[in-house]
Amino acid sequence: MTTAQELRPARGRAGFPGWPGILLILTGGLMLVNLYLIFLTAPTDAVLGEVQRIFYFHVPIAIVSFVAFFVVFVGSIGYLITRRRGWDATAHAAAEVGVVFVTLALLTGAIWARPVWGVWWTWEPRLTTTLILWLIYIGYLMLRAYVPNRRQGAVYAAAVGIIGFVDVPIVYYSVQWWRSIHPSAVVGPLANSGALEPIMQFILFFSLAVFLLLFLYLLLERIALRRGDDRLADRRLAALRRRRD
Amino acid sequence: MPLILLQAAPPANLTYLFAAFAVCWLVFFAYAFFLTRRRRELEQEWAELEGEGGAGDGEEGGG
Repeated sequence: MTTAQELRPARGRAGFPGWPGILLILTGGLMLVNLYLIFLTAPTDAVLGEVQRIFYFHVPIAIVSFVAFFVVFVGSIGYLITRRRGWDATAHAAAEVGVVFVTLALLTGAIWARPVWGVWWTWEPRLTTTLILWLIYIGYLMLRAYVPNRRQGAVYAAAVGIIGFVDVPIVYYSVQWWRSIHPSAVVGPLANSGALEPIMQFILFFSLAVFLLLFLYLLLERIALRRGDDRLADRRLAALRRRRD
Repeated sequence: MPLILLQAAPPANLTYLFAAFAVCWLVFFAYAFFLTRRRRELEQEWAELEGEGGAGDGEEGGG
């Protein structure tokens, strides 16, 4: 049975942190190491200077947003096939956390673009397709918020979650398909093996791992909240029915 | 006449570096604050429902 106590997943028994607490402590510790690597170990870029260190946040955050929307995609397919609420809760939670990450990718990109390109924003393919990605998932969350019937909202959202994911590979390949001023990919099938110095590559992948852990923590917290919400709605409905009977 | 090329150090642009990292942490903390507040509200709603005696075994189905 769900009680108010169960909605506190970060606390374990006898005052020890539960597994989400351990995950949070691990992520926090590794984030400190990550900051040390970014600011004190990574070499200063010969062309872009110190501002290039934004790269170690900007790129992993953008990749994590793709991972989040992939989780939405899988969760949406799972929900449409099985109609189990767990799939829907996972897709919903991943979409919300994914929007946080893609918002940050856009903001850090704009802040980096100003000193490097001389503008905060330009309508070039990578930026434009990323903005479209952001709008798609903002639409997804608005749909969930405004459709009064939860089941119907879940089905509509699943459709958007599947169709919307089409934009993720478009964002990734946009630098190759169209003429773009955005640097080409440093991770994945489009990445050149010698594009980065080994130390820079190591710090980039370390940062990616830390942000993936942060994403996992936020995702699990959000899923726990969503489940609490669902169970509360069930109990309220049951209580109303009992009163009516 | 020999041509001497002087390569100037790239500008540090530390304000932008600071701004990017500050924005990241502000957004993450704001989201963590939102999650914590929502959880507290949910706990309160549960406590109220338990107080009303309405938190007995209810209906829990998929979909």
